[in-house]
Amino acid sequence: MMATQITSLNRRFTNIFLSDYFVLYMSLAYVIVLAPFLPTLLTPQNLSNVLSNTWPLLVVAIGQTFVLAVAGIDLSQGAVIGLTSILCAMLIAVTGNPNVLSNAPIWGLVINEDGGFLNGLPLAVPLAIIVTLFVAAGVGALNGIAVAVMGMPAFMTTLVMMLIVSALAIYLPLSENINQLPDSYVALGKGDIVSVYFGTKSESQISRRVIYSLFTYPMLISMTVAFSAHVLLNRTVFGRQVLAVGANRRASEISGVPVTRIIILVFVISAVCAGLASVLYSGRLEAGRPTLGAGTFLLDVIGAAVIGGTSLFGGKAKIKWTFFGVLFFVLLSNTLNLMNLTAFVVDMVKGGVILSAALLDVLRTKLLRERTT
Amino acid sequence: MKSLKYTMAAAILTTAGLLSSGSAHAAKICFAFQDLETEFWVAGHKAITETLKASNHEVLESNANEDANKQLEQVKDCIAQNVDGIIVIPQDGESAVTIVKESQAADIPIAVFNRPPTDTSKGIVVVADNKTIAEQAVDYVTAEALAKAPPDKKLNAIIIVGDLGDPNAVGRKDGFYASINKNKDRFNVIEVASKWDAATALANLEAAVTANPQVDLLFTSSDFLFPTIRSVFEPRGMWKKRGEEGHVLMAGLDGDKTACQLIKEGFVDATGVQDLFFEADSAMNAILAAIEAKETQPNKIMPDPGFALTQANLGTDEMRMWGCKLLAGK
Repeated sequence: MMATQITSLNRRFTNIFLSDYFVLYMSLAYVIVLAPFLPTLLTPQNLSNVLSNTWPLLVVAIGQTFVLAVAGIDLSQGAVIGLTSILCAMLIAVTGNPNVLSNAPIWGLVINEDGGFLNGLPLAVPLAIIVTLFVAAGVGALNGIAVAVMGMPAFMTTLVMMLIVSALAIYLPLSENINQLPDSYVALGKGDIVSVYFGTKSESQISRRVIYSLFTYPMLISMTVAFSAHVLLNRTVFGRQVLAVGANRRASEISGVPVTRIIILVFVISAVCAGLASVLYSGRLEAGRPTLGAGTFLLDVIGAAVIGGTSLFGGKAKIKWTFFGVLFFVLLSNTLNLMNLTAFVVDMVKGGVILSAALLDVLRTKLLRERTT
Repeated sequence: MKSLKYTMAAAILTTAGLLSSGSAHAAKICFAFQDLETEFWVAGHKAITETLKASNHEVLESNANEDANKQLEQVKDCIAQNVDGIIVIPQDGESAVTIVKESQAADIPIAVFNRPPTDTSKGIVVVADNKTIAEQAVDYVTAEALAKAPPDKKLNAIIIVGDLGDPNAVGRKDGFYASINKNKDRFNVIEVASKWDAATALANLEAAVTANPQVDLLFTSSDFLFPTIRSVFEPRGMWKKRGEEGHVLMAGLDGDKTACQLIKEGFVDATGVQDLFFEADSAMNAILAAIEAKETQPNKIMPDPGFALTQANLGTDEMRMWGCKLLAGK
């Protein structure tokens, strides 16, 4: 009897461990454990912060998920964010500052005192975004061609691309930021659609610090990207081909999967997602920045995707896993901030969590294999 | 017995007084800094945190590791924790504008320490008069260079420029040119970009010195680059003391410990000094005053006039420089 109960308990735990929602359960458990010690954690202001930090990272991580799904890696995403951030800003800036930019190669060519090249046009912002997304797609296509056609390792290809693209991003404005962006562009990074206030109706004047963002433009953009990516990866032939290439490239080729095209396309998707995320990051920071996406940014992106359950070995990826992974990762960063730990400790903890997630991935893969055999 | 009663009453009153004064004045301050890569920032961080903690204020510290987006997220986390005030050393002038806006939108007073926003009309901005300080320091070395050189000789002057997204770097560059332009026809200026990064400065300075081996004077926009300059100059025989053959006239800006040591040894001729302790005190006092007065969006500029420490006034003004004070263990 006892043995049966233990077996049933073990099976239940294994089911949860192998469930699509494991990371979500883990996030909830994490919040439940920490909430009594961090009273700020569940306040509307903090939850609003967690969400606003989630959206741009989610868009980048979705792109990375596609590349990880074919057993690749895209290290150039951060550099693409920097390049597209500065490209978009130089096209739509309302004014240009000669004191800062006059020595830059773009000065007088794309931007001057009267602003960016597209400034003043009715559709300047969408046009600039389309242009930058095309540039991002071009970078992604180069990555994809190098990996799929020339057979170069994705790690080396995207590492080199990162160097080239980030150098170009810094060269164009001579490492200066470009500010004075149109309000409609800034709104894409931080604009509210619905804000909420929790309190009595009798208040004649509501303090601004108790009004919280609920539905925002970045939320709308990332949820649209997430939904589209979910359909593409998990509900279409293309998605099945992506996972098949990741699981076994040789078998996919023999089965007639257009492997070369698939690999090129996933790198394009990854770069376009990075370009789109740059709009969200640049909007919230109200400036085009060539160094956006530098530093330890990629650790956050790959970490979030891997924590979610996307396999580094390819063939196993879901967008909802990435969403849960990003949510857990942002929650982790947020709680570490609330604990007032030093930056060194924060990075060490993050690194430890990503390592644990990679180990869990190995364990889950092994368990799944045992179940199916 | 009576005296014991009085003593106890006095003790209770004193304790109550201390507690009540503590609770009335103790504030929760968020101190968000971009990194601690130079002596100036380390000393500023220490001055601010230790002084606030010594006055029983709670300090929430966050280091953004030079990531503007991370710093914005950290400040928003501070706001969520209902801090009473924020002191920020921003990554650059543009991100400072966004952070000040975020803080003021939440009705929390904010002070920007030393690295001003590109729009200085919002927030408490404590900033050195970089242009004047740099001009004073460069005036000293240009005068010496011109006095030593034959009247018809054109001199090579190197400026190591900081990150021009930082208004401090712009001010320092302007100060350099304000001084050089007084004798415009006597100087060839070579600009070396550093982006406030030692490795970038090293690579660019090596290239500049290789292309222009004759360097008559050098101005570095920050003292923290003197060790980098030494590593480029020393192998080329250009790292010499005053009075020695081949000495390159050098000036800096900040007033850190290394600069103090190098001025005393004679390797460096002048440095512009930011009054670090004045700036730290100004930022803290302004924030605490705003909290006390329940002023949620105070806007004011608090300039630090600074001065130049040179070989000429070293004997009298040494202890006015914060780096010399730290060097002397004061």
